Amino acid sequence: MVDRMKDAEDRLLESMFQSEPIADDGFSDRVIWRVWRRIWLRRLTLPMAMLVGGAIAIKPALQLVQVGSGLLSAVPQELFATPAALVSQLPIILFAGTVLVVGMLSTRMLEE
Amino acid sequence: MAFHGEIVITSTASQSDVSDQFLVAKVVSAQDTAAYGELIRRHQSQVRNFLRKLTGDISSADDLAQDCFLHAWNKLQTFTGRGSFIGWLLKVAYTTFLQSKRKSKRYAEILDEAGYVAQTEARSYTPQADEISDLDKLLAVLTEDERAIMILSYACGLSHREISGATGLPVGTVKSVIFRGKEKIRKSFDIKDNQYG
Repeated sequence: MVDRMKDAEDRLLESMFQSEPIADDGFSDRVIWRVWRRIWLRRLTLPMAMLVGGAIAIKPALQLVQVGSGLLSAVPQELFATPAALVSQLPIILFAGTVLVVGMLSTRMLEE
Repeated sequence: MAFHGEIVITSTASQSDVSDQFLVAKVVSAQDTAAYGELIRRHQSQVRNFLRKLTGDISSADDLAQDCFLHAWNKLQTFTGRGSFIGWLLKVAYTTFLQSKRKSKRYAEILDEAGYVAQTEARSYTPQADEISDLDKLLAVLTEDERAIMILSYACGLSHREISGATGLPVGTVKSVIFRGKEKIRKSFDIKDNQYG
């Protein structure tokens, strides 16, 4: 209480509110145990979720790849861009890439 | 708290003479649970005392104190080091208390809606009948906000500015709440100025 003057009433109240320090008696160990548990739960959650999610998703994902490869053979070859066409569009691709990277970096900086 | 580095276990013997800010930095940078253990050992008494006075119930206060230190672990990177660490910790404790009270109230409302009669108003100020002290009687005349602010001021020794930071109230409001609290105590216990000192 450094920002005010203490009067007699304040001193009386302070003495009434005063109490003995509470012994730790394993309190800090219990909290640290809970912190550890939380750390390990977090550590295990992501790999476990990936494992379970992967196991569930593997079959439909394989089917999707098979269907996709079947469709790819049905698409006419003219629709794919040739290397020459890509070279002519290189400045635009570079510009778009730069804008994307700068945008991502700016977002990250703003977040931080 | 984001998971950056490895969990570090170091000896607590060398940590007893370093500042709170240094220990906080160790916890934030390296998830050092030994440093956090030292911080808990240093401040558990004040946090538990604050919550015991606020709730009037030892066991629920100690449960809340554990929750408070867990919340503090998660939020430690928000401690800027400008004020005292205990001031920041008591803010977390008060927030934990208010959240718990809100949860209990909502729980009681749900029970009420479902047709059950809520057994207790949990986490309210409920000193046990056989151990009512002068302080309990004194605190009972105050509202919850007044009680919290008076405890922070007179039991925890926080400055008006620190109480303002802990409760989120302007400094002027803190001063007027303390003034009002003292008025209430004076009236309720018929204490005259010449009885002090």
